Amino acid sequence: MRKLLSLLSIPLLLYSCTPESADYNGTVEGYAPVYVSSATASTISVEPARAITKAGKIYVHGTYLFENDVNKGIHIIDVSDRARPRKVAFINVPLSTEVAVKGNYLYTNNLDDLLTFDISNPTAPVLVKRIDDVFPMPNQNYPPFTGVSFECADPSKGVVVQWEPKRIKNAKCRR
Amino acid sequence: MKKTSLLLLIISVLFFQCSKDSGSSSEATAVGGETGAGGSMARFAIVGNYLYTVDHQKLRVYEITNAAEPVLKNTVNIGIEIETIYPFKDKLFIGSTTAVHILSISDPVKPEKLSTAISPQVMRRCDPVVAKDNVAYATLRTNGFCGGVQSILAVYDITDVTKPISKNSINVTEPYGLGYSGNVLYVCDKFQGLMLYNITQPYQPTFIKSLRDGSYIDVICYQNTMICWVADGVLLYDITNNTNPALLAKID
Repeated sequence: MRKLLSLLSIPLLLYSCTPESADYNGTVEGYAPVYVSSATASTISVEPARAITKAGKIYVHGTYLFENDVNKGIHIIDVSDRARPRKVAFINVPLSTEVAVKGNYLYTNNLDDLLTFDISNPTAPVLVKRIDDVFPMPNQNYPPFTGVSFECADPSKGVVVQWEPKRIKNAKCRR
Repeated sequence: MKKTSLLLLIISVLFFQCSKDSGSSSEATAVGGETGAGGSMARFAIVGNYLYTVDHQKLRVYEITNAAEPVLKNTVNIGIEIETIYPFKDKLFIGSTTAVHILSISDPVKPEKLSTAISPQVMRRCDPVVAKDNVAYATLRTNGFCGGVQSILAVYDITDVTKPISKNSINVTEPYGLGYSGNVLYVCDKFQGLMLYNITQPYQPTFIKSLRDGSYIDVICYQNTMICWVADGVLLYDITNNTNPALLAKID
């Protein structure tokens, strides 16, 4: 996360930002950055079970199922009675996208950091370790495609966690 | 099809492990040092007492003999635009947007690069693969930026993993993850549901039927349970009878 914050303070890398030829509505197909404020990006907490908002990667271990809620955290689900799965907790981990388990420990990412949780009590996971800069984050300045228009990134809005397809008006950036 | 593209099929970026008889995962319990099972679109993979992670360029090896305390053991430069990692037997397959790198982990802390396959034009990042014994099944999706003309379910002989041989190709609509249990292959398709194929003759999958309980993205078979990642949550099926999965529950 430290590296991430320092990156944010670096001026934007110079990628050609040239006006795009727009259609008669003044909009083009392109990409827009999705932000999360850097202040909340590393705040971890254990919360009561909740509904899935954006279903992500899954991992099964013993009688428990773990589902990543994309960019939000990990649902811990007791499936010992398969017909009546029961969510027992939600680990709030902003910007998480990965999950794996070995023994009583769960690994996930908090954007670019690797976190280890003790889940010996699955209803009350405990963060036991954070290792910086294990995972890559999306490029902060441009989407992972070429020949596309995009909304120019604004570091003051926070961390870019994703580039989503969008019709954009008056696109100023292109690569 | 060129050898490199065949190789790419086998080792492309999405690898969904789904095996009823895949050793420790099927016997995993809540205690001890065992790992579970997951589809491997992941940027990390656990093999035994080691956690492997990839960032855009580097592979890192953490020893997790003490699972609470990952210890960095090695960092290996791999290439550029790395996206995924998955283990297959004693190898790691590391997928990037343009190439797949194959590393031996015979020595777990010293991954050794065996080869690199460059992606030909037709191969993109949307090609889930599952391997069973000496056969690999891959879905090649052609929507959006995946490119291509026709989505297919492809079948390969991977007796020699570095020299895959194309055996069959079946037209499908918009496939995602896939997996298998015993002699049944499960293929997620946006329009055709979860398609079941009999693979008793592994190179000649025969269509059985489709399930249509959601928009299927990925599937994991774990003991007698099939876990499906669908667009709005998770579906659990009993697959004691693997040709006739019985819906148990939906988690949303």
